[in-house]
Amino acid sequence: MKKLKKVFNIRVLRGIISIVIFVGLWQLVVFVKVPYLKNLPYPKEVALDGISAAGTKIYWLNWEISLIRIFIGFIAAQLIGIPLGLAMGVSRKFKDFTFPVFEILRPIPPIAWIPIAILFWPTRELSIYFLVFIGAFSIIVINVLQGVSNISVSLKWAASSLGARPKDIFWRIMIPGSLPSIVTGMTVGMGVTWNVLIAAEMIAGQNGLGRMTWEAYTNYNIPLIVVGMVSIGVAGYLCSSLIRWLGERAMPWKKRF
Amino acid sequence: MAGNNGSGALSSGNFGEVYVEGVTKIYEKEDECQTVLQDCTFHVQRGKLTVLMGPSGCGKTVLINLIAGYEKPTSGHIYIDDISVVGPGRDRLVVFQETALFPWMTAYCNVVFGCQVRKVTKCEIKERAELVLKKVGLYEFRDKYPSQLSGGMQRRAELARAIINDPKILILDEPFRGLDAMTRQLMQEFYVGLFEEVGRTNLFVTHEIDEAIFLADRLIIMTFQPGRIKAEIEVDLPRPREFRMLASPRFMEIREQAIELLYEEAAKAFAAGNKTAYDLVGAVVARKGICKKQA
Ligand SMILES: Nc1ncnc2c1ncn2[C@@H]1O[C@H](COP(=O)(O)OP(=O)(O)OP(=O)(O)O)[C@@H](O)[C@H]1O
Ligand SMILES: [Mg+2]
Repeated sequence: MKKLKKVFNIRVLRGIISIVIFVGLWQLVVFVKVPYLKNLPYPKEVALDGISAAGTKIYWLNWEISLIRIFIGFIAAQLIGIPLGLAMGVSRKFKDFTFPVFEILRPIPPIAWIPIAILFWPTRELSIYFLVFIGAFSIIVINVLQGVSNISVSLKWAASSLGARPKDIFWRIMIPGSLPSIVTGMTVGMGVTWNVLIAAEMIAGQNGLGRMTWEAYTNYNIPLIVVGMVSIGVAGYLCSSLIRWLGERAMPWKKRF
Repeated sequence: MAGNNGSGALSSGNFGEVYVEGVTKIYEKEDECQTVLQDCTFHVQRGKLTVLMGPSGCGKTVLINLIAGYEKPTSGHIYIDDISVVGPGRDRLVVFQETALFPWMTAYCNVVFGCQVRKVTKCEIKERAELVLKKVGLYEFRDKYPSQLSGGMQRRAELARAIINDPKILILDEPFRGLDAMTRQLMQEFYVGLFEEVGRTNLFVTHEIDEAIFLADRLIIMTFQPGRIKAEIEVDLPRPREFRMLASPRFMEIREQAIELLYEEAAKAFAAGNKTAYDLVGAVVARKGICKKQA
């Protein structure tokens, strides 16, 4: 236990050192005026702008708006995608009917849906929800499908020998068996979702973290651009951590002892 | 022989027998037909421990899957007592070659799974689970997940998951493969003790000669590609079995007999490039060399 703590501390220390070195290099790059990077603000300017931004209501409103968009789109994608993936994994017939269409639409990058989403949905807000949904949807479907088909056939056999009916096999074998893939799909999907959201906000939004960053650009406020970027990074990280935490909760058998 | 005396709590003593009659299994892969099993006929006697032996890849697992009802024979019939096998059933429970414990359930939940899906009352489940878990020595570990159990414990948990349902026939597909020598020996001892106590009909698959003879009442030896029944050997070593019997002259005699029968098949499997067969051939050749020197 003590040893573990020590290792952990060393690793944290290394992490801190790497961040310090990064900020130091940044400072240096600005200081010696490296060509093409001479417009970069000093870390201190960014920090000061960040602190003053954090004091405003509008900054936190942007956070809230972006997070709400993420969660609505993302949760909708899970609610539709997980059952769809399960159905495809369980029923060969259903998969034969649905998968080809799915495979045609899947290679289209979510961002390529922006124009049509804006045109077709009555409000900008709805089109952004839709784009976020698209970002997470195909990933979760593919992962669930893969998760279901990766469940070893001997588990299903064992269960049916023990007297399990199809209903029991679905709820007690298929669902927990595909849970690791569901969590993977959600983690990856969350990352893609942030990409899509920021692009959508920059192009179609009136607010949100993406729009805030874009407006900083149109006002040529470089420190605020960086503040926006860092905020987006932090927001994405927090969302992924939440998914990971939920995943660990849902799968106690994966815990290492 | 092995009766059901003194094991009332573990088993009701209602055991079955298996008749495999003219079973052929052909797999079709890309216009190519592979006859895995050809015209297999044998009988697993009630209350006896029958061991099925053959080189790796000869179709033992396929045969088990047919008896368990997971797959259907291309032709031929399998009967449990006098009922034809049409699908999986609780009367024949299988301990799989690769572990088939449910990774997301604790040892306890794995063991009681069968009772739960059949809606056995909670307190009856609890009582039986306690008995069985104590029997296999996993009571202290009941709240652990399979990944937290050692290989030997996993096998015992799987055994417990089967015997709690008191099947008519217990089928084990190379259950001790992959365990280290020490654990393997302990598991064999435990398993044979359990069998002798309850006297259930057991069908045990292995490709280890010593394990086979140590456990068996009857040995069934299979051929390699296509899988056929080559021979049956009655193992008349006394029960209860003990490890010192491995050195008895009768054991050696049976062993020689089995090796003669297996050698040809193992060599065939080896020639066909089967990796695991290599070990068997190696063992057999070494054995033969020693015999010749002694003779
Ligand atoms: N579902 C399947 N489809 C096609 N071929 C199969 C299938 N299952 C098994 N086989 C083939 O049947 C043969 C026998 O396989 P099986 O797993 O029964 O061997 P085994 O005797 O159990 O070997 P081992 O001792 O290694 O477990 C192999 O050649 C295998 O490729
Ligand atoms: Mg096998």
